[in-house]
Amino acid sequence: MRSDNRTHPAIDLFFVMASLACLIPFWLILMVSMTGQNALTRYGYSFWPAQFDFVAYRFLLHDAEPILRSFGVSILVTAIGTFACLFVTSSLAFSLSRKEFPLRRFLSLYVLVTMLFGGGLLPWYLVYTKLLHVQNTLLALIIPGLLSGFNVFVMRTFFATSIPPSVVDSAQMDGAGDFRTYFSIVLPLSLPVLATIGLFSIVGYWNDWFTSLVFINNDKLYNLQYFLYNTLMNAQYLQSIADKAHIDAATLQVQPLEELRMAMAVIAVLPVALVFPFLQKYFVRGLTIGAVKG
Amino acid sequence: MKMWQKKGFVAIASLLLVLVLALAGCGGDKGNDSAGSGGASGGSGAGSASASGSPSGSAGAGQSEGAKKLEPYEVVMVYPDGKQKDLGLVQDAMNDYLKKTYPDLNMTVKLNPIDWSAYSDKVNLMISSGEKFDLLWTANWMNYETQVVKGALLPLDDLLDQYGQDIRAVEGDLLDGARRGGKLYGVHVHQELGNPQGIVLSKELVDKYHFDLSPLKSGEFKDLEPILQTIKEKEPNVTPAVGPAFPLNAYFSSGSMESIIGPVGLDQRDTNPADRYKVVDMYETPRYRELAELTHKWYKAGYINKDATTPGIDIFKKFQAKTAFASIGSDLEIVKDMAIGKPDRMANKSTQLGVELIQIPMNIDRLHTSKLSATLQAISRTSKDPARAMMLLDLFYKDKNLLTLFNYGIEGTHYVLKNGQVALPDGKTQDTVGFYHDIQWMLGNQMLNYTRVGEDPDKYKNYEQFNEIVKSQPSPLFGFVFDPEPVKNELIAVGKVQSTYDPGLQSGQLDPAVDLPKMIDKMKAAGIDKIIQEAQKQVDAWRAANGK
Repeated sequence: MRSDNRTHPAIDLFFVMASLACLIPFWLILMVSMTGQNALTRYGYSFWPAQFDFVAYRFLLHDAEPILRSFGVSILVTAIGTFACLFVTSSLAFSLSRKEFPLRRFLSLYVLVTMLFGGGLLPWYLVYTKLLHVQNTLLALIIPGLLSGFNVFVMRTFFATSIPPSVVDSAQMDGAGDFRTYFSIVLPLSLPVLATIGLFSIVGYWNDWFTSLVFINNDKLYNLQYFLYNTLMNAQYLQSIADKAHIDAATLQVQPLEELRMAMAVIAVLPVALVFPFLQKYFVRGLTIGAVKG
Repeated sequence: MKMWQKKGFVAIASLLLVLVLALAGCGGDKGNDSAGSGGASGGSGAGSASASGSPSGSAGAGQSEGAKKLEPYEVVMVYPDGKQKDLGLVQDAMNDYLKKTYPDLNMTVKLNPIDWSAYSDKVNLMISSGEKFDLLWTANWMNYETQVVKGALLPLDDLLDQYGQDIRAVEGDLLDGARRGGKLYGVHVHQELGNPQGIVLSKELVDKYHFDLSPLKSGEFKDLEPILQTIKEKEPNVTPAVGPAFPLNAYFSSGSMESIIGPVGLDQRDTNPADRYKVVDMYETPRYRELAELTHKWYKAGYINKDATTPGIDIFKKFQAKTAFASIGSDLEIVKDMAIGKPDRMANKSTQLGVELIQIPMNIDRLHTSKLSATLQAISRTSKDPARAMMLLDLFYKDKNLLTLFNYGIEGTHYVLKNGQVALPDGKTQDTVGFYHDIQWMLGNQMLNYTRVGEDPDKYKNYEQFNEIVKSQPSPLFGFVFDPEPVKNELIAVGKVQSTYDPGLQSGQLDPAVDLPKMIDKMKAAGIDKIIQEAQKQVDAWRAANGK
């Protein structure tokens, strides 16, 4: 009996290897970010630098304002966006899960269509700039992530299957309206799925740089990911320009330090990596709970 | 419990509402003062400007008396640049200057720089959404051809004749490099007309071993071999030839091969003069084989670093760390009296890195059509007053003060003059001065520019001299632009084969005796012959049309 419970060593080994494959690149990034520039050019990347140097972090702190500001933008957008996203998604999902809702079929189909077809970049741009006029505002960063068809369906399924209909019925029999049912009964019972979708949303908002690229011209409103992307791409362009524009090699500028990029990557990854463990238990439960009922 | 719930709901809902309103409010403000939010600003000036804005030849730049008075107009300039803290100050200074010096033009500029990372995407969106802007920086490697095809740019011939006298005076025939389908859609920036490519050597080691560099006058890379061998034997910690900079690239990407598309072009150095217009595949030329074999030999002998094809390798950092002796096939700086095989100090790089470097040109570019569309100013189809845009552009080709404001900012604040050169004000660095960029090559007549302290004061004279060398060997295909449409699929297929083998052959890691024939076979299968035929057909048609 006992031996049956123990995992086969080969499976253990497999998972150890898989975890290492995930961890090693992070370790390397961390180490490179702390390697001195001379050591880097002489010996290249290494898992334990010959000489530690925090010059990249010092540089970031010295010129900290843009980074801190973009950090602030990211945090603000992620926080507001995630709450708003949960509110909008869950309320739509709740409506769709109610059998007596007359537009249920039509709206479900509508949501499904948005999952299958996208409008394309240009219409998207036109709606936000010409119709809503939200370019260069934080709203432009928040609105695109508010609603995703996939999230709505995950939540609707959860509401429909995991909340006993009798609970809802009894609440309504006691005189609760739809709003009361939604806020007092359904939401408190749905923490797992809210945490799951919340995590999707946090990661989505945190990692989104493309919306910034398209809608934000004001560098005070850059979010962290776009700030990093921008720094990197600008450096790459400057490197390649001399060749493409046929300009004198003398005008080439020195590119930012390798370890600086790595330090930025560490900074960008850290917050999400810290949030994940707290939400992880809901994450697993939320996804499976809608599938099978025990 | 009940009460609490109700309050909670109201609280959350009102909180959300407040947040949304607040964000919209503060965002709106920012939207207005930040660059290029199109619609609103264009709308107000649009009606009046377009009414008076197509002046029938009477309201030219110089002619003020008796001419119809021009309505005020804001010329929006779109170009790629990083963040400049004092952009607003510089823009105001430019506008003050314009108002004072050219009151008749009655125009203001609005600088709308876009980050490099977003430039291509954003310009695309601005064009597609019909946003109003006037001057646009573009280039053949930055969607110029697509923009022309899409009709995003205005044809400029008439405007140039009317308002661009100074541009014509400076650029002359060189403007024709941007001609597409017989019409001019971009104005070339007056700049150096190409690059020299060649060898960069560490001076310290050259001096140490008293190398004789005179054999390199031949312009042949193989004459460097004995020198590399010495370094390999006597300096174990130094890479004799550090990549990614390779003889093959230096030879075939420069004037020696007149590239038409991908690997297809006209061989300029090895063919007989009677057959100058024969289109060939560079991989099938004897010269390619020879240089590939040379590189492979060097690679096997350990002269070339093994990580030469890894992305992100910075050759000059290796020079700085004193682990590199030579870089073969780098772009060089333009100095006085350049000639093939003539060693010179690589001044700017040496100062920048704190390591003395010698450069030896092995190739000098030819005057090539593609180079003359490598940095352009164009006028957008959405401009409400293209004439005024052209007037402004013309000023950048003759007015040193205006150009200096754009390039170096305000004197005293962003730069000071020391012996006629631009220097940073005391106690300021590039990061703290508020306005610092080196994008002189994007606008106007570069020969009007100041040089920076540390640069050769004669930099622009050297450019002129270098341009004469370049112009003295014009490309046989000057003015020819290849239309890739008929062989689009073949080009993609050939490009795939190329990207598999080319880096390996360039860096010497593949043996050309084995892999070159393999590659050529695969290219034939991918349709390289069809591309050659198509290119030959277009070249012949062009020759017939132009009487070459």
